[in-house]
Amino acid sequence: MSFVETEERRALRAAVSELGHEYGYAWFTARARKGEQTTELWQEAGKLGYLGVNLPEQYGGGGGGMADLSIVLEELGAAGCPLLMMVVSPAICGTVISRFGTDGQKQRWLPGLADGSTTMAFAITEPDAGSNSHNITTTARRTADGWSLSGRKVYISGLDVAQAVLVVGRTEDAKTGRLKPALFIVPTDAPGVEFRQIEMDLISPDKQFSLYLDDVALPTEALVGSEDAALLQLFAGLNPERIMASAFAIGIGRHALGKAVAYVKDRQVWKAPIGAHQGISHPLAQVKIELELARLMMQKAAALYDAGEDLAAGEAANMAKYAAGEACVRATDQAVQSLGGNGMTVEYGVASLVAAARATRIAPVSREMILNFVAQHSLGLPKSY
Amino acid sequence: MKIVVCAKFVPDATADRRFRSEDNTVDRAGVDGLLSELDEYAVEAALTVKENGDAEVTVLTVGPEQAADAVKKGLQMGADAGVHVIDDAIHGSDAVATSLILAKALSKLEADLVVFGMGSTDGGMGVVPAMVAERLGLPAVTLGSEVTVDGTTVKIRRDGDLASDTVEGTLPLVLSVSDQANEPRYPSFKGIMAAKKKPVETWSLADLELSGDQVGQAAAWTEVVEVTARPPRTAGTIVADEDGSGAAQLVEFLSTNKFL
Ligand SMILES: Cc1cc2nc3c(=O)[nH]c(=O)nc-3n(C[C@H](O)[C@H](O)[C@H](O)COP(=O)(O)OP(=O)(O)OC[C@H]3O[C@@H](n4cnc5c(N)ncnc54)[C@H](O)[C@@H]3O)c2cc1C
Ligand SMILES: Cc1cc2nc3c(=O)[nH]c(=O)nc-3n(C[C@H](O)[C@H](O)[C@H](O)COP(=O)(O)OP(=O)(O)OC[C@H]3O[C@@H](n4cnc5c(N)ncnc54)[C@H](O)[C@@H]3O)c2cc1C
Repeated sequence: MSFVETEERRALRAAVSELGHEYGYAWFTARARKGEQTTELWQEAGKLGYLGVNLPEQYGGGGGGMADLSIVLEELGAAGCPLLMMVVSPAICGTVISRFGTDGQKQRWLPGLADGSTTMAFAITEPDAGSNSHNITTTARRTADGWSLSGRKVYISGLDVAQAVLVVGRTEDAKTGRLKPALFIVPTDAPGVEFRQIEMDLISPDKQFSLYLDDVALPTEALVGSEDAALLQLFAGLNPERIMASAFAIGIGRHALGKAVAYVKDRQVWKAPIGAHQGISHPLAQVKIELELARLMMQKAAALYDAGEDLAAGEAANMAKYAAGEACVRATDQAVQSLGGNGMTVEYGVASLVAAARATRIAPVSREMILNFVAQHSLGLPKSY
Repeated sequence: MKIVVCAKFVPDATADRRFRSEDNTVDRAGVDGLLSELDEYAVEAALTVKENGDAEVTVLTVGPEQAADAVKKGLQMGADAGVHVIDDAIHGSDAVATSLILAKALSKLEADLVVFGMGSTDGGMGVVPAMVAERLGLPAVTLGSEVTVDGTTVKIRRDGDLASDTVEGTLPLVLSVSDQANEPRYPSFKGIMAAKKKPVETWSLADLELSGDQVGQAAAWTEVVEVTARPPRTAGTIVADEDGSGAAQLVEFLSTNKFL
């Protein structure tokens, strides 16, 4: 990994940033407040190849890696348009299918994921299996011509815009004990699939749903790759997820910081602009440092992942996700504080970032679970649970 | 068909733009620069023609080392090749000299269609397209807000204050397009990745059979004698409507300042 970004990546950054600013946060939140989606931006980004930069060229992708894809999400977020489904559709689902899918699955799904014409959601969380994925009870039963899938998932993002959802379940013969997962591609309009929106106190165009799977009949080829390799597949998808969750958080943090800096340069309460007071400038400087550090760790994770170092990438991706969540929360909080009363208005658009920032500490993996991971895997400490 | 887009590298308008104190020329070396926004419309127009027919698009720029970025942006958007004319003697060239260099390069490229923007975002004289056409002895259809190319016929709509003209010409010709002509595309990821592999030639004045004394500041027909920075903006007047007299106050303000 070089600290000098390649010309192509700089060009990608600039182009995506310009596209994001054409839409912008005012547009993004207006859509969110009306309960509407951000389809035009998704489609435009898809057509330009930005959503599928990490997917193989052979299937319509850009042939790049997570380093490229994370640039896209980071810049869209910094421009005020953090597209949450990028974490899921091209990053988790696209990665799992392109690495472990059959040729048929790749041909069927990847071109659409690459150009954004298909969105695929990802469903792992269950009412009794959030942090503890080993408790997953969604079960696939073998039938004469395929599978029958039943279970319940919660907090699944974007089912309203998705044509399919990648469901993490387990096969019947592995019903209890340690997770032996199996990944299924389930069309959202398949008989037996139902989903209901969960009311969230988040101002985001991306909504969360409860998903009910009731004896959903699936063909044999709905199972991704081989039954036995599923745990490996799952982990392969989780590194990109964490890298992209970091990009999502860093983008939001940069957006908040940018607004705060612009404001405090201008706003004068006593003799000098408030940005001259260290009570205002130092916390913003701290936020800048923390965002940069988180970004550096994200870039390291992406570089390791793209180099095929899955194990090392796992540690770095978790650390990046932790750091990005913390920096994002701090950035939005400090932005609100810097703007005083204006910080709480709709017009200035920073208070609305606070809840979204808060969620980056919880999803897709909570800070506590990351600390557990680091304590056990990096430090070799014993486990309490 | 061979299409050449003349695209200028200009200082970024959102950053600090300055003049060099030693010779009062625009500081192009020490600042962030980019492909002139108005020339993106020219690139887009050329790419549209290419997509509707068979054409090769070359981006041509005259400028210092960083001007290669303007060519690169054109290639990322989808142009096929680039030419960068660079020579220390070019510094300080006026529109007359710039048009000479461009005309020489265009003859060498044997362009059928030459596409310009409506004006640069720094110099902004808007005269280079006409000067180049004159030097090449080609017809010029300028400031097109709508462009159609049909075979060898180029038709534009030029919008004036009172009427819109439809102007037509036959290739080879010089075309300039306004910022109403199209919506420039963003470079796609594939375009960005492909740009590096596209051919870019670098030409000096000697390659164009020009000598240093024909161009540059010494040969310029005009001289910028003095440059004064724009005075800082002063705070405006805010008319507050607290008791319903706002409208009257506003009229009073507008009329005393002779805005009405
Ligand atoms: C906006 C949003 C979008 C989401 N989108 C999706 C999606 O698209 N697909 C999907 O599958 N899921 C999604 N989720 C779910 C998300 O991944 C889970 O909420 C998250 O993994 C936490 O699980 P939980 O909510 O069940 O919390 P719990 O597991 O109930 O945890 C509650 C708290 O206890 C802590 N805790 C639990 N165990 C331990 C322990 N051993 N040590 C220390 N602390 C512990 C946790 O860190 C947390 O703070 C989304 C969630 C949100 C908020
Ligand atoms: C404030 C100011 C200071 C100036 N200072 C000096 C000075 O000190 N000495 C001096 O001699 N002249 C000076 N000039 C003139 C200036 O250098 C010319 O304006 C310039 O050479 C070319 O004209 P333009 O940028 O106005 O092009 P325009 O006529 O506005 O450009 C029209 C189109 O021509 C094409 N084009 C123009 N330039 C290039 C290029 N380099 N490469 C490729 N395509 C191009 C683009 O398609 C562009 O859209 C000054 C002008 C101004 C306004």
